[in-house]
Amino acid sequence: MEKSNKSMNNSRKYAAKGPNQRLRQRTAILILLILIMGFGAAILRLSYLTLVQGKSLQESAVDQQLADTTISAKRGSIYDKNGKVLAESASVWQVVMAPVNFENDEQRKAVAEGLSEILDLEYEDVYEKTQQKSYYVIVKRKVEAEAREKILKFIDKLSEDYDCDGVINLLDDYKRYYPQNDLASCVIGFTGSDDQGLEGVEYQYDKYLAGTPGRIITAHNARGTDMPFQYEQNVDSEDGNNIYLTIDSTVQSICEKYMKQGIIENNVLNRGVCIAMDVNTGAILAMVTVDGYNLNDPYTLSAKDKQKISSQPKDKRAEAESAALSAMWRNKAITDTYMPGSVFKMCTASMALEEGVVDDTTRFYCSGSMKIADAKPIHCHNTAGHNSQSFVRAICNSCNPAFIQIGQLVGKDKFYQYYQGFGFSDKTGIDLPGEAEDTFWKDGKMNDVDFAVASFGQNFSITPIQMITASAAVANGGYVLQPYVVSKITDSKGNVVKSVEKKVKRQVISKETSDKMNEILAYNTATAGTTAGYVAGYKVAGKTGTSEKIGSKVQSSFSEDYIASFCGYAPADDPQIAMLVFFDTPSGDAYYGSQVSAPVFINIMTEVLPYLEIKAEYTENELEYVDSSAGDYVGLTVSEAKQAAESDGFTTTVKGEGDKVISQIPSVSSKIQTGGNIVLYTDDTSKSETIIVPNLVGYTPSEVNSVASAYGLNVSFMGATNAQGISTNQGISEGTSVSPGTVITVSFASSTTIND
Amino acid sequence: MAPYKKMMLKADINKIYDDEYYSEQKIKDEKFFVRPSRQRKMKKTKWFSLGMGIDLPFCIIILVLLTIGTIMMFSASYAYSYYKNGDSYFYLLRQLMFVGLGLLGMAALSVFNYNKLHRIAPIILGIAYLCLMIVLILPSSDGVKRWIPLGLFNIQPSEIAKFGIILFFAHWGSKYYNKMQFARYSVIPGIAIFGSTALLLFLEPHYSGIVIIGMLTVLMLYIGGMKTKYLAVGLVALVGIVLLLAITGGLSYAMSRMDGWGQALEYTTEDMWQTTWQTRNSLYAIGSGGLWGLGLGQSRQKYLYLPEPQNDFIFAIVVEELGLIGAAMILLIFALLVWRGITLSLRAKDKFGKLLGIGLTSQIGIQVVLNILVITDWLPNTGISLPFFSYGGSSLIMLLAQMGIVLSISRTANIERQ
Repeated sequence: MEKSNKSMNNSRKYAAKGPNQRLRQRTAILILLILIMGFGAAILRLSYLTLVQGKSLQESAVDQQLADTTISAKRGSIYDKNGKVLAESASVWQVVMAPVNFENDEQRKAVAEGLSEILDLEYEDVYEKTQQKSYYVIVKRKVEAEAREKILKFIDKLSEDYDCDGVINLLDDYKRYYPQNDLASCVIGFTGSDDQGLEGVEYQYDKYLAGTPGRIITAHNARGTDMPFQYEQNVDSEDGNNIYLTIDSTVQSICEKYMKQGIIENNVLNRGVCIAMDVNTGAILAMVTVDGYNLNDPYTLSAKDKQKISSQPKDKRAEAESAALSAMWRNKAITDTYMPGSVFKMCTASMALEEGVVDDTTRFYCSGSMKIADAKPIHCHNTAGHNSQSFVRAICNSCNPAFIQIGQLVGKDKFYQYYQGFGFSDKTGIDLPGEAEDTFWKDGKMNDVDFAVASFGQNFSITPIQMITASAAVANGGYVLQPYVVSKITDSKGNVVKSVEKKVKRQVISKETSDKMNEILAYNTATAGTTAGYVAGYKVAGKTGTSEKIGSKVQSSFSEDYIASFCGYAPADDPQIAMLVFFDTPSGDAYYGSQVSAPVFINIMTEVLPYLEIKAEYTENELEYVDSSAGDYVGLTVSEAKQAAESDGFTTTVKGEGDKVISQIPSVSSKIQTGGNIVLYTDDTSKSETIIVPNLVGYTPSEVNSVASAYGLNVSFMGATNAQGISTNQGISEGTSVSPGTVITVSFASSTTIND
Repeated sequence: MAPYKKMMLKADINKIYDDEYYSEQKIKDEKFFVRPSRQRKMKKTKWFSLGMGIDLPFCIIILVLLTIGTIMMFSASYAYSYYKNGDSYFYLLRQLMFVGLGLLGMAALSVFNYNKLHRIAPIILGIAYLCLMIVLILPSSDGVKRWIPLGLFNIQPSEIAKFGIILFFAHWGSKYYNKMQFARYSVIPGIAIFGSTALLLFLEPHYSGIVIIGMLTVLMLYIGGMKTKYLAVGLVALVGIVLLLAITGGLSYAMSRMDGWGQALEYTTEDMWQTTWQTRNSLYAIGSGGLWGLGLGQSRQKYLYLPEPQNDFIFAIVVEELGLIGAAMILLIFALLVWRGITLSLRAKDKFGKLLGIGLTSQIGIQVVLNILVITDWLPNTGISLPFFSYGGSSLIMLLAQMGIVLSISRTANIERQ
């Protein structure tokens, strides 16, 4: 007080700053702080949020309001060429919870207990979810109708017993089903937990298949109880488009059947590939990677893989498992590369013809090996040598030294131009994910040894899809096509959204060259030296190939790992379908393309060509082994039946004492050889008689026929039933007891002169 | 006391009231509420605003805010109330009852001689301490002890503490107005009272209460006459601590510990995403409002997305419905309230009234600013209600009662206008 007064007296300035004045000043500062800084900051922040960030925040808000009430769109179906369902979505439900609505822990426990029991979940996990302060927690997805019923009842019970409402809600959802299980698995692919495509067509065409989810903007749906407010905005979901593949599931399943058989018979270690293509359009009729996997259960490995993984140390198992899964899902037909080997000779030969550097009179000499520059001599598979041979014979002999010379005639630069022309240097552009690129010398710059080896398809890698596309070009008049697996996309009402037309990239060889090649390759399969790839009744053009796998650790039983392949097309005079059969690392008795792949090719073509209504024209020799269909003789008297069967071209054996035929073997419409034996039963007692099946493998068709007749059995002939054919497989194995007259399917392959 | 008498003879009476400590005896002597003869004269001229009247503009601002606040509280709580209580009017009806009670309290206190609070200020502070301690020993279901149940409604001891501290420092500052520059009259009692209160609030826990009480303590000491240098030292120390935390990375740790402060829009973990749910939905609501808003009653975020939209986060719904324009207008009214309240308090005829009025009005300003910074994620989500808007019985009644005191102060302030 005294101090203050003293100051006042001494200084006017200080007097002005007396307590009252000071209060006014400080209050001014205070107002400044609160009103300018505080309110200013608040206004600035609000302006920033509403004006600058407003749009994105509003989007997030709307997203959230919509996301909580999304109506799933039904994913489109995938059909094969003929409208058979390969993938479809069926209604299931998503169980969601709004745990904020719990009023007490008793309710939480009741819900956790009920849901964990119905949905087969851990109680602890569900209980934890009930404690979140959220309006939307997913409890379980893809719940099927049965569980849904139980949950609906449980909701009623909760309401009655615990007065607990609006906690559990069921939202529509869809689940993907694949009725054909593993058929065309590597092409179709599968979807993930959010219904998003992960592999194959499901991945590639995800945006078409997925559809647009619908929305309901309403508080009602955020919580699931009645809502008296008119606050609703509905946007219907739009179902996904349907996709029609070019794949014909019949052809596909024929291919898969024989490919699986080939894998087992040849103990193939690294899976196999079979591609069937319409040579005139590039449409893929079948694309097989064996072994495939069950699309309904894509995360389960094969027993073999599981065993491999369990033998690994524990810490590496998870890694090994994911590697095994991705290997299993890989579509080997387009994602793996291999050295085409002798199959590529059809391209080299086409180049030479197109360039006019060879003709029918050109001759090539093979001493069994050939020396290029200072390198080690390159051997022919026939180490004795083919001596002097014509161009056509050189192809039939699959003579490496001859092809080195053919290559030299074409020249390095031209060779690389044609390599590019056939489409090996680009991806084919097939509408499937993960297509690999070729591995070739950069810009085609090869030294002489490289070039010599490349002439017969070694030391560079291409994908199987590139090889078959090139072979289709050889067949169809030189047109390099873009292969495709999807032919048509329609919306859910059936209107066509997108229709795929064939796409010609370029013409790489002339029609004349193509015709000539068809002639030569048909000659190759049918007559000359080798008959691998021959199919009774059809002119098939084809080329075998056996290529070494270089650079990887040897896994097979042989001194090196091989890829055995066969590429061909039919009919040779009007090519329709091309097919590549390819086995990676056979480790059985044989590894040559002619031994491993050609028989599979023959078996497939024997069934596929008639299915595609490509008319067979049998030679007289073949006609003997053409199958006929057994008629219906049941119910006729013995004499009537005998007469009918004989007029159908069969012989008969009557068993039993009765007057009337009560059953017959083979049954109606069974395929048996012309002149086969029909056993007619007239009473039940006679049926107990059995015959032990003899060995029918390793014989010519006529030998098989006579052995079977001697035993009273019938034979259905498959494959190369000409004079050079040797039976490779019998449908019912040796030693099995069967009824008299039973039909045994016997497959024939052309004699095994190895000319890869 | 000789200089006092000398000055009193010369100086205008108001000036003496400003500068002097007014003892109980003197209040009686000087007849605090004007002389009867003058009072009669006032009543003839105007009821409000002048003489014995309360400050009309201030009173109107309060009623305007209360009206807008109640309407918005109804809009915000409509859907939530329906789900929670099966009745959309549940919160509105209760709030209207509190408004009624509060207005009665306000009217009563506006005719009450606020100088009587002078003597009982330490007692009220004592009661506040008692409440803060009682709440700690009461059982609590979720471990948070902020409320004392009182049948009809709950009371929040921190509300009483805020009032108690403003009142006490108004009393203290007017009593020792000439000694406030000494640390032992300003800094030491300030630290002692704030420290002990903060400790009790920390145990509840109620961090936003600590922040507000800290700010109020500093504010009261500052306007009470504390030396600026102490304030500066305190501020420098505070800034230093924050900088130190920022440099060592402790700040972001502290921020994430503070319920994901500043991280509402980025997904880090599921737990954090759940924790920041309310703040995030507040930001969504504000952003959705844009410049013009979605229209009154048209908020979407109040439909169960923003939890308890009628409480601390009500202003997010206000922005969503009325837009930046509406929000700015409401803030303008709040600013007018603060401005009017402080300026009228400055005209109060005694130091106690000045300090008390400024303190009570500033408290509203501080709460408004802090509330908006919380809902916009500039401050951690710590439970600061918005005066006149947020639902709540005890805080609304308390608020209106405090406004009643300011109105009572305004009666004396208007003498000056004569």
